[in-house]
Amino acid sequence: MSRVWLQQGLVALGVLAVPSGFILLAGKDPVATWTLLLTYTLGTWNGFSDVLVNAIPLTLLGLGVAVAFRAGIFNIGGDGQLICGAVLAVAVAPILGGLGWAALPLFLMAGAVGGGVAGGLVGWLRTRFSANEIIVTIMMNYVALQMLTWVIRGPLQEPMRIFPRSFAIGEALQLPVLDAGSRLHGGLLVALLAVALLQLVLSRSAFGFRLAVLGENAEAATYAGIKAAPTVVLGLLLSGALGGLAGAVEIAGVFHKLEDNFAAGFGLSAIAVALMARLQPWAIPFTAILFGVFYVGSGALQRQIGLPFPLVWIIQGVVILAFLASRAMQTRTLRVA
Amino acid sequence: MEPVLIAGLLAASIRLAMSIGITALGEAVAQRSGMINVGIEGIMLAGAFLAALGALYSGSPWGGLGLALLGGVLLAAIHGWFTIVLRTDQIVTGIAFVILGLGLSSFLFRLTMGAAPSSLPAFRGLDLGPLTALPLIGPVLFGQNILVYLTLVLALVLWFVMARTPLGLAIRACGENPDAADAAGIAVNRVRFGCVLFGGAMAGLGGAYLAIAQINSFVENMVVGRGFIAIACVVFGRWHPFGTLLAALGFGLAEAGQIRLQTWYPGVPYQFFVMLPYVLAIGALVFMARSAALPRALGRPFISERRG
Amino acid sequence: MSLAGPPLLELRGITRRFPGVLANDDVSLTLARGEVLGLLGENGAGKSTLMSILAGLIAPDSGAVLISGRETVLPSPLAAAAAGIGMVHQHFKLIGAMSVRDNLALGDVRWGRFTVDYPELTVSIGRLAVELQMEVDFDAVIDDLPVGRQQQVEILKALSRNPAILILDEPTAVLTPHERDGLFRMLARLKARGAGIVLISHRLEDVIEGCDRAVVMRQGRIVGGGPVAGLDRADLVRMVIGDDLAEIERRPGAAGAPVLRADGLVLRRPNGTIAVDGASFDLRAGEIVALCGVDGNGQGELVQMLAGMLRPHAGGLTYWLHGREIAGPLSAAALRQLGLGHVAEDRLRHAVVPNFSLVANWLLTALFHGGLAPRGWLNLATAEARCGAAVRDYDVKAPGNGVPIRQLSGGNQQKLVLARELHGAPELVLAAHPTRGLDVRTIAFVQRELLRARDRGAAVLLLSADLNEVWAIADRVMVMAAGHLHGPVPVAETSRQEVGRWMTGHA
Repeated sequence: MSRVWLQQGLVALGVLAVPSGFILLAGKDPVATWTLLLTYTLGTWNGFSDVLVNAIPLTLLGLGVAVAFRAGIFNIGGDGQLICGAVLAVAVAPILGGLGWAALPLFLMAGAVGGGVAGGLVGWLRTRFSANEIIVTIMMNYVALQMLTWVIRGPLQEPMRIFPRSFAIGEALQLPVLDAGSRLHGGLLVALLAVALLQLVLSRSAFGFRLAVLGENAEAATYAGIKAAPTVVLGLLLSGALGGLAGAVEIAGVFHKLEDNFAAGFGLSAIAVALMARLQPWAIPFTAILFGVFYVGSGALQRQIGLPFPLVWIIQGVVILAFLASRAMQTRTLRVA
Repeated sequence: MEPVLIAGLLAASIRLAMSIGITALGEAVAQRSGMINVGIEGIMLAGAFLAALGALYSGSPWGGLGLALLGGVLLAAIHGWFTIVLRTDQIVTGIAFVILGLGLSSFLFRLTMGAAPSSLPAFRGLDLGPLTALPLIGPVLFGQNILVYLTLVLALVLWFVMARTPLGLAIRACGENPDAADAAGIAVNRVRFGCVLFGGAMAGLGGAYLAIAQINSFVENMVVGRGFIAIACVVFGRWHPFGTLLAALGFGLAEAGQIRLQTWYPGVPYQFFVMLPYVLAIGALVFMARSAALPRALGRPFISERRG
Repeated sequence: MSLAGPPLLELRGITRRFPGVLANDDVSLTLARGEVLGLLGENGAGKSTLMSILAGLIAPDSGAVLISGRETVLPSPLAAAAAGIGMVHQHFKLIGAMSVRDNLALGDVRWGRFTVDYPELTVSIGRLAVELQMEVDFDAVIDDLPVGRQQQVEILKALSRNPAILILDEPTAVLTPHERDGLFRMLARLKARGAGIVLISHRLEDVIEGCDRAVVMRQGRIVGGGPVAGLDRADLVRMVIGDDLAEIERRPGAAGAPVLRADGLVLRRPNGTIAVDGASFDLRAGEIVALCGVDGNGQGELVQMLAGMLRPHAGGLTYWLHGREIAGPLSAAALRQLGLGHVAEDRLRHAVVPNFSLVANWLLTALFHGGLAPRGWLNLATAEARCGAAVRDYDVKAPGNGVPIRQLSGGNQQKLVLARELHGAPELVLAAHPTRGLDVRTIAFVQRELLRARDRGAAVLLLSADLNEVWAIADRVMVMAAGHLHGPVPVAETSRQEVGRWMTGHA
C-alpha cells in the first residue's frame, strides 16, 4: 500500500518539478511564481472571474469530448466545431434581430447546429468509411480555421471593410454580464445548464446507456442488439453540438463578433479536462476551472513578471502525463493484488 | 500549362514535401511495429525550434540538425516509456506531447530568440553544375537541398531493412501479431521501443527541415498540422516507405499548387486553396481506411502470454 | 518401437494450479523415439496446460520434465526449442499478412543476422518439405492459404529446427478429411525418422488412426491409457467423458407449435473454413433441445446465428414469436424486442459488461422490452426493483446492486444473467453452456430454471458438452461435429455412449 503512495507522490512531485525547472530556466523563482499564479487566479476577483470566463468554453468543449469518449471515440475537433458553431450563429444573427427574447436562445441554438453538423459529418465518415476520427477531426480544425479567416475577410466582414473581423452582433444577442467589473457573462449559466443536462442524458437516458455499452464493450453491444452506427453518429453529433454551442457562447458573451484566433485553441485542453474528470459531467466544471487557472495564471505571469505565456502548454502537457501515469500505476497494483 | 511552370511546380512540390515525408517515414516504421504516435506534431515543433537554435549558435545547419535529432529522440523516449512500460493509452499520451511540443518550442523560443531570426544558417539548394543547369528537369531533380537526397536514400534503406532483413521481419511481426513474434523469440517491447525512438528522431528531423531547409526561420506553431498529415501519409502510403514518401509528395504538390492556384484564380478566396492539403488528408483517410495493410496490432499494448 | 535407454521424453508428477482450479494433478507420462503418443481428453481436461508447460510458456508448480533422461528446465519458448521440443499450436503462431517465406525466417538467426539468406532458406526447407511430401509455395501469403496449408507452414517452422520431440495441439480441428489424411501420412514419415510425437486431441478417431499409444486425461489427471491396438473404443469414450452414469429422473416435456426452424444454415469463418455446414432442425414450444459437441465444431457459431449476432452466409431461418411467423435471419435488436432470452457462451465478452453495476447489466438486454426505457429515458427505479427481486429469488450473492459485476463470482454472475434472460417469460431461450464453471448447487438451480421455462411453454436450445446434464433435462438432442449436424433425436431413443461417439467424430 505504501508503494502506491510513493508512486503517486512521485507523480505529484513531477507535476510541480518539471514546470518549475522551466521557470528556473527563465530566471524566475519557482516558489514565488507558483504563489503569484495561485494568488492571482484564486485570490483576486479579477483573476478568478477570468478563470470562470475561460472555464465556460472549456466546460462545454469538455462535455463534448466526454460524450464522444463514452462511446470510445476521440473527438479532437473541438476547435473546429467551435468555429463552425460561431460562424453559423453570426451568419444568422442579422435575421434574429427582431425576435425579442427568443433571439439569444436561437443564436445559441444556431451555434449548436453548426457544431452538430460538423460532428455528425465526422460520425458518418467513421461509421461509413472507418475513417480514423482522430486525424479527420484534426484536419477539420484546420479547414474550419481557414473558413473563419475567409468569412471575416469576406461575406461576414464588418461594414467598413477595414479590419479582419465580422460585424458586431446586436445587443439582443449578447449574453448579459453577470458582474459589472469583470467579463463574467451569462454563458456561465449556459454551461452549468449543459452540465446538468448532460449528466441527466448520460446517466439516465437509453441513449446514454447505449453509448456507455459501446465504449465499454462493443461485443456486448452486439449481443444486446445495440446498433453501433446510429449511436456513434448521434454521439458525435451531440459532441459537436456542444462545441458549436461553446463557439456561440464565446461570441455572445465575450467577443460579440468573429475575429482571428478568437478561439484560443481550447480543443486539446478540453480533452485533458474531460479525462481528468473521468468523463463525469458533474466533475468537468471543476477540471475546467483548473485549466482556466493555468490559462489565466500564465497570462498574469507573462504580464507581471515576464514569464512567457507558453508555460501554460508545458503545465498542461505535464499534467496530462502525470494523470496517465497515476492511473496506469493504480491499475498495475490492482492487477498484482 | 507551360513546361516551365510545371517544372517549377514539381521542384517546389519536392521541396515542400520533405518535412512531412521525413516525419512520415519515421512514423511508418513505428506504426509497422504497432505503435502510433500522434504526438509527432509536437515533436516536429520541438525539432524545428531546436534546429533553429542549433543552427544559430553553431553557425551551421548541421548543428541544428543534430540538436533537433537529439530532441526528437528524447521526447520519443519519454513517449515510449509511457506507452510501452506504463502501457498508457497511445492516443492520449500522443496528445500530451502535441501540447508539450507547442509549449516547449514556444516557451524556449521566447526565452532565447524572442523574434523570428532574420537569417538562419540553412540548407540551400545544391548546384551540381551541368546537371542542375539542365533545362526543366535540372532544378527539379538536381537542384534540391541535400536533405532531399538523404531522405530518398533513407527511404531506400528503410525499404531494404523492412523487406529483407531479420530486423524488418521482427518489426513487422510485432505490429501484426506480437504473440506470434513473442513465440518466435522476439523481444517485442524492445523492438517497439526502438521503433518509437526512430519515429521521434525522424519527427525531430522533419521539423528541423521546416526551419532550416524550407521556411528558413522559426515562427511559433509553424508546423500547422503537418505532423498529422504525416500520419495520413502513412495510411495513404500503406505503411510502405516508397508509398509514404509518394503520399508526402502529393501533399507537397497540394501545398505548392495551392499557392499557385491563388495567383491564377484571384477571384476565389485564397483560404479555400490553403484548405486543400487538409481536405486531401481527409479524403485519403476516407478512401484508404479499410486498408488491408494496416498493422493488426496497431495501438494495442503487448502483454506477454507467459504467466509465472 | 521403444529402444533400450531412457525414454525420449518423460513427465514426472507434473502439477500446476490456477486460482480456483487444479489444471494438472500429478501427471506422469513417457514418450519413446519413433512413437506417436495420443493425449486424449475434453476441453478443460488439462491438456493445454500440460502443453504450455512443455512449450516453455508456463512453469509447473512441482514435478519434472526429463528429456532423454536429463531433467530440463523450460523457462521460455526459445529454451524449449533449444531442448529439442517443437510445438505446433492449435491457434497458429503465424503472421497472416506475411508470406510463407517470411514466416519461416522470423526469429531464426540461422538464416543470417543482418540480411536473410532467402535462397538458403528456400533450399533447406524445400528439401525438408519434399521429404515429408508437402507442397510449399514460399511466396504465398498466409491469409490466402487454406487452413491445412497454413498448418503445414506451422509444422515446417517447428520441424526446421530439427526437434527430437514434436507436439501437435488439436491439429485436426480445422482440417478437411483429405488434409487430415495427409497430416497422418506425414506424421508416419516423421516417426520413421525417429522423432517422438505427441498428438493432443479430443477426437477419438485421431488417436485410433494416428497413434501408437494413447493416454486419457480428465479433470487434470491421467485416468487411463495404453497401446492403441489393445484399447476398446467404448473404453476410451468412457474414460473421456467419465462414467458417472447416475440414474437421473427424467421429466418429459410436451412439445407444441414450432418456434424456430433452421434450413441449411451455412457459416464461414473469417479464414474461409466452414464453421456450420448446412444445419437444419426445428425447435418447438415446451421442449428442451440439447446441442452437443466439443468446442470448435461450430455449435457456438450456430447459436450466435440464431441469436442474431452472426449472419448466416446461406440458408434460411424462420421464427414464430408473438403469434406471428417471421422470416429470418433477424438482428439481435429485433429478436430482443420480440422476446429472446440468450444466455451467452462467453459471459465476460458478451453477456455482461464487467465494469457495469448489477443494475446496469440488468438493463443491458432489458432495454428493449420490459418497459425499462419508455420514451428514451431509463426507468431506473423499476430496473433496480426487478434486479433486486432477481438477486433475492435467484440467491445471487453480491455486496450490493450497485457494485461492478466483476466483483461477483462467476456463478453469481451467471445466475443474474439467467434471471435477466428468463425474465418476462421469453418464447425462445438460447442457453449456451449455462452451467460451465459453476458449482453443483448452482448447476442444479440453473437446470431447474430451464425446466421451468420449458414448462411455461418456451422453446429452449441448450448448448452443452455435459451429457449428464443433457440426459437430466433435455427432450431431444443433436450433435455438431466438424460443422455437420446430427439429429435432433429424442433423448429416449439414444444413449449417452452413442451421443459421445457422435461428439468425438465417429458417425
